[in-house]
Amino acid sequence: MQKGRSTKAGSILVWTVLVIAILSLAAVETLRLVTVKYQNALQTSTWQEALLAAESGIDLAIVELRKSLYPQPNQAWQGWNNQPGNNVTGYELTTVPNAGLNGTPVTIETSVDAPATLIDPTNSWQYYRIRTVGTIPINGPARAADNPQDTKLRRLSLRFERFTNGLLATHALPTDANGNPQPQVSRRVEAIVRPVSAFDEAIMSVGIVDLTNQDIVVDSYDSNDPTKSTNGLYDVAKRQENGDIATDGQLIDAGNAQIFGDVATNAGTVSGVANITGVERTDFYQEPIPIGAPSWNSVNSSVTTVNGNATITASATQGSAASRYILSGISESGGKTLTIAGASDGSQTYVEIYVTGDISVSGTGQIVIQPGVSVTIYFAGNVDISGNGVLNGNNQPGDLMLYGIQPPTDTSEHVNFGGNSQISASIYAPGHDVTVNGGGTNGHVYGSMVGKTVTMTGVSNLHYDESLGSKGMINNYKIVSWFEDNR
Amino acid sequence: MVTSLHQCGSPKAQAGYALSEMVVASSIFFSISLGLLMGFTSLERNYAATTDFSHNHADEMRISDYMAMDLRRATAVEAATNDTTIYIPAYYDSTGTPQTPTLDGEGGVYYGALGSSVKVHYYLLAGTIYRQQDSAAPIPLAMNVQDFVFDVTDIGKVVTTRITFDPTFNSSGASTSAVAATAFYNTTLLRNSRTDVESSVY
Repeated sequence: MQKGRSTKAGSILVWTVLVIAILSLAAVETLRLVTVKYQNALQTSTWQEALLAAESGIDLAIVELRKSLYPQPNQAWQGWNNQPGNNVTGYELTTVPNAGLNGTPVTIETSVDAPATLIDPTNSWQYYRIRTVGTIPINGPARAADNPQDTKLRRLSLRFERFTNGLLATHALPTDANGNPQPQVSRRVEAIVRPVSAFDEAIMSVGIVDLTNQDIVVDSYDSNDPTKSTNGLYDVAKRQENGDIATDGQLIDAGNAQIFGDVATNAGTVSGVANITGVERTDFYQEPIPIGAPSWNSVNSSVTTVNGNATITASATQGSAASRYILSGISESGGKTLTIAGASDGSQTYVEIYVTGDISVSGTGQIVIQPGVSVTIYFAGNVDISGNGVLNGNNQPGDLMLYGIQPPTDTSEHVNFGGNSQISASIYAPGHDVTVNGGGTNGHVYGSMVGKTVTMTGVSNLHYDESLGSKGMINNYKIVSWFEDNR
Repeated sequence: MVTSLHQCGSPKAQAGYALSEMVVASSIFFSISLGLLMGFTSLERNYAATTDFSHNHADEMRISDYMAMDLRRATAVEAATNDTTIYIPAYYDSTGTPQTPTLDGEGGVYYGALGSSVKVHYYLLAGTIYRQQDSAAPIPLAMNVQDFVFDVTDIGKVVTTRITFDPTFNSSGASTSAVAATAFYNTTLLRNSRTDVESSVY
């Protein structure tokens, strides 16, 4: 009997061991599969995060570039090793702690430079090259993926640094307290940003855009392109569809307008639009750069105020002292005329005027800009132009640019721009309420308007000159090229 | 023999017990063996299917990541099922060194020669998905993937890729819903202005 029990007990033991062995094998294999998958997923997600880090570097650089557009002191490039410029490299090495996976640190290297090949010969605007590297440590063991193409794609630095082309310095794997290398992954991106004009849209407003007074038609042309204009002037037969309207606010009240372009609000609505040929967006926001008072070292002091017939003479040299005037104010009425005179042959001349007070033209008063003169006016007060208004001899809105200096907080200033003749002007006054008064049902306005609010009264046609997109003040930077360098 | 059995006492009961024990034991043994055989076979098939699924999923992820990387920097896309061509800037020169960008006069930039680009071709051929850059030798991204289908949907500013395969859990073949459940999606924002359609992010 004892012998029989002993045999049965041995059989159970064998079965038990066999079953446990089989289950253990299955468990081990399952664990191996899961571990490999987990490791792959972890490395891949870290690799993806490295791209986010690299793209964050582009954002950091664009923030600094935008800051540099503000009036001084703007604190641009503070903390950076150098300031960018032609053939000068500005760069930064930033560690953002606890922003990565499992609270790991993210290292962002950013380099901004300004190659000479990226200067636009038409307006001397500098494009910038931004190169960034985002680096994140990899958690878990330094185990390579099964497939070599995974390794080729992600270029994980597990036991030695594979990312040999460091941006600012030669990369080396960090080590732990025992001197063991810690795996990490880096990704590198190059982006080119271009300057954007303050006149990039037909109408841009911080607040409400009100077009309700007429059934206005908003479209575009390009005075530099003969296929989109005739002799540099608007031609309805060559109408373009870039008459974009945008607001940082919530409302564009279009008053049955026809808009040959896009409309964009900041999570707002567009009401009363008869037709939009472009897209309607609700994700727009662009902080307008405020205008500071000009700080000219020397000016032409032949005229210091205008209140009657007067002549301001332009200069062939842009930015020269002879071309710059500071006036306490302009007030014209009763048949008086301010003439901004250019060369007798109509060749290109320039004048910049800083008006510390108000500008007022009414009745038979008038401002006459002679052909060939390109006028830039900075104004600190209010602008009221009516009656005979401003006669822009070139009929080019790019040749009459008005910049409203940012008024003090809690003050209300305005630009009322109108007149009997057609209006060709570009107005940038994000601190002013801008009202454009046109010539009723036959009134045409050519140019671009930027204001705290923008109201069109008696204007039935607004034609945006697309060439303004490369003229005037730089208001922003946009990415025009993006490339991930995965050598 | 009979006499001998009788002499031993209760011969009938002893013989009957041995026979029934044998039958029962044999039945149990064969039942357990059959069960184990079926279990192991099923386990092996399931293991093979799971491993296949795991490998296929890794393949999906790799193909998707390769395509997303090229799509992010793409300037043009020609999409078709299991055959997609992506054009990217000619960023590198012939030695693989990055080139200095140049303005194109229309608000954009280019690398290398004006109008040049690098053609990246993804295609499925003879059970392998390849990535070929210009006329260079194609690189196999995933092998034994004859059951893979990658669809690229071009929506202008974004491009969506969808990759599926046939899971092998069912010996009679994967159902449509089972195939759909393997779909690996990736929606990629194209960062560059496109040269083939009027679409730009920035």
